[in-house]
Amino acid sequence: MEAFSIVGRPPHEIAIVSGIGCSSRLPAYTKCYGFHGVHGRALPFSVGLKMVRPDLEVVAVGGDGDGYSIGGNHFMHACRRNIDMLYLVMDNRVYGMTKGQPSPTTEGDWDSQIAPGGTGLPSFNPLAVGLAAGANFVARGYVGDPIGLTNLIVEGIQFKGFAFLEVLSPCAIFRPEEIGWKARAHSRKKPPSADRATAIADALNEDELGLGVFFRREQAIDVKREKSTLTLADIERSFEI
Amino acid sequence: MTRSSISVVFAGSGGAGAMTAGAIFLQAAARSGYYGMMTQLFGAQVRGGEAAALVQLSIGPIEAQPDCYDLFVALDWGKIESFAPEIPLSEKSIVYHAKDGGAIAPSIAKTKARMIEIEMTDPQMTALERALRGKRVNIFAAGFVGTLVGLSEKSLKEALAASLGRKKADVVAGNEKALAAGIAAAKRQTENFLLAEANPGKRWLITGNQAIALGTLRGGVRFVACYPITPATDLVEWLSPVLQKLGGKLVLGEDELASINMVLGASFGGTPAMTVTSGPGLSLMIETIGLAVAAEVPAVLIDVMRGGPSTGIPSKMEQSDINLAVYGGHGDAPRIVIAPMSVADCICTGEWAVYIAEAHQTPVIVLSDQLLGQANEVIELTSKRPAAATRRTDGGDPKTFKRYAIGPDPVTPMPRPGTPGFGWVGDGLTHNEICVPVSSASVHAAQMKKRADKIARFEPGELWGECWGNGDTAIVAFGSSLAPAREAARRLTAAGRPVRVVGLRVISPAPIAQLKKALAGTKRVVVLEQNLGAQLYHYLLGLKALPADAESIARTGPLPFRPAEIAAHLGHDHVNSS
Ligand SMILES: Cc1ncc(C[n+]2csc(CCOP(=O)(O)OP(=O)(O)O)c2C)c(N)n1
Repeated sequence: MEAFSIVGRPPHEIAIVSGIGCSSRLPAYTKCYGFHGVHGRALPFSVGLKMVRPDLEVVAVGGDGDGYSIGGNHFMHACRRNIDMLYLVMDNRVYGMTKGQPSPTTEGDWDSQIAPGGTGLPSFNPLAVGLAAGANFVARGYVGDPIGLTNLIVEGIQFKGFAFLEVLSPCAIFRPEEIGWKARAHSRKKPPSADRATAIADALNEDELGLGVFFRREQAIDVKREKSTLTLADIERSFEI
Repeated sequence: MTRSSISVVFAGSGGAGAMTAGAIFLQAAARSGYYGMMTQLFGAQVRGGEAAALVQLSIGPIEAQPDCYDLFVALDWGKIESFAPEIPLSEKSIVYHAKDGGAIAPSIAKTKARMIEIEMTDPQMTALERALRGKRVNIFAAGFVGTLVGLSEKSLKEALAASLGRKKADVVAGNEKALAAGIAAAKRQTENFLLAEANPGKRWLITGNQAIALGTLRGGVRFVACYPITPATDLVEWLSPVLQKLGGKLVLGEDELASINMVLGASFGGTPAMTVTSGPGLSLMIETIGLAVAAEVPAVLIDVMRGGPSTGIPSKMEQSDINLAVYGGHGDAPRIVIAPMSVADCICTGEWAVYIAEAHQTPVIVLSDQLLGQANEVIELTSKRPAAATRRTDGGDPKTFKRYAIGPDPVTPMPRPGTPGFGWVGDGLTHNEICVPVSSASVHAAQMKKRADKIARFEPGELWGECWGNGDTAIVAFGSSLAPAREAARRLTAAGRPVRVVGLRVISPAPIAQLKKALAGTKRVVVLEQNLGAQLYHYLLGLKALPADAESIARTGPLPFRPAEIAAHLGHDHVNSS
């Protein structure tokens, strides 16, 4: 909310869209317009909304399960579509809502009731995937760093195009060890890159608690403003014999 | 002697251009003032494989396919056998087949139709020209059959020109030659099938898919998200450029889950929005249909039904998505389901779907099917249009505004995002009047009732359906089964056994009172539909919308009902078509 006031948008000009998960409860906590849809589909909803309402500030939010697992396909394609909006993923590396199952970002050896001894699967690197799929603004924030996070949200909102912000969000209940991120999270040493390959390498090679913008490249958004060049009567005439 | 109608099949392997031949023949007839309809029949491949254009011409309106085709034109025999058994011919039919067209399809030979072999190319073409430009057998065939039924050279030429569009001059010249050769060959034939004089009028030539799309544009749809699927794709291919030139937006979703959620997003933003799909896509959209019901967001879903389950038969029709459309999804999620009654009615039903969705803040599913959607038909213009309706957006006083207020009117205003003071959150979780998710029993019951009341109070007026005739036997049907049902009823009535037909435009909520009224005085009621499970029959019977002894005629697709088949089912085997 602070970010929106910095950006200068009143609540009624903002739409917050979410899927399902603890992290997806956000819209209910604001005075903005909002939509709490089904699990995994916040992004396509947001795309449809922004396409018809470019005047609104559209922010999609959700968890790692919502965005990277059930909604993974939409995540890739939203990165490609480059619609002007912010996508904020609160990544706690667990399905919190359903009480602690491993998500795509969970470490392969993380023990849980549903996957004793871990899933054995490599975890998913959201930044690298988002970059490979074509996102033009890719950053990582941390809820334990509210000032830095607010700045990243502001930057993401102001960015012209699809901005993807992965936010480390410890789950105190199911992943208490994540509280330890507080001591280890740090600002990235490198400035944002404008070269996609470099940014992907950074996302893959740097440690997973580095905060800041990895990639930023303004790309003209297709602002093909459809003007009416045809009327319904013209269309109907085309069927006349 | 002239005839009042004729039915012709143009068939050939992939690349032979059967559809083009049919289209030119139909166009020329339409330009000459005849009524006409062309449907498409495909072999194993959806496109690019063997195919047939089934064309009927008449001096009066046509809707149903005939019991038997009069003429069959084989551009080549190729793999025609793969669908030949699905084309009814009799010993009265005539088959013209191209010389060098290969071995005659066995199921065509079996029909005892008269076989006439003809040279279907321009005799003046050199061997090199043939090799270079193909034989244009299809264009020849269009000119040939067009002339046999009495279409003028001028109308055939105009239709060819319209079909070629802006092709290169030498391509045009080659096609014109083939057409002229066909016309000349017809003049040498002893048979002819001359149609009686036409009765020209102001009419349109349009497909069912185009007609639904046009209707929804009239209704105000300006956002479409979809994922390609046969037989709905050609609807979107026609719609896409047109919608964008009207100032609207069309987006190809990454899948149907995305498409329907994009539609809800656009609709939440205030723009009437639609998706277009077929059975497999509708199955994927089901969870979000429940969301649209719960959050009360308008949305139009066009389902051009095809053979199911699973991938089924993509290119052919079935009426088997009734259960999915009416009940699909978990929980109690009442929605509105309607179906066009003919190609012409696709315009009205499409337009109406948008108004209903907007006015009732609900998903509206429109059940069309492959046969209706891909039929290209000459239709009579009517000025009859459904009454326009829009969504309520005026929230009144922001201080007392409740998005999901429980009150006398179950439809509650949904202010457009961007309006100061009304920020509201649509939610698929059970929510209270002010959008807060709760799990209390009383709130759940109240909101469920609000949504159920909304649908129960939907008043279709005279658009609920239609009743034709007044016999004491009634056929109840919907969609593309209506035309053959009406034709069967016409024949039976003419033979002194009056049959009435009750067509449903509204499937859900079932128009029980209207249906009962339409069935008053009947002794026998038969529900006709194209699916094995008798979905419509069980649905209506379950609602006690039918007499307890109502009967069912339910069979799988993909073959369309023939009028004679329906008459036979009713126990009258010997009613002929004319
Ligand atoms: C179609 C569907 N499948 C499963 C669920 C159950 N479900 C609800 S939230 C959730 C996982 C949420 O995880 P995440 O997105 O990481 O959010 P968190 O709760 O951790 O914030 C699941 C599996 C559902 N609501 N819908």
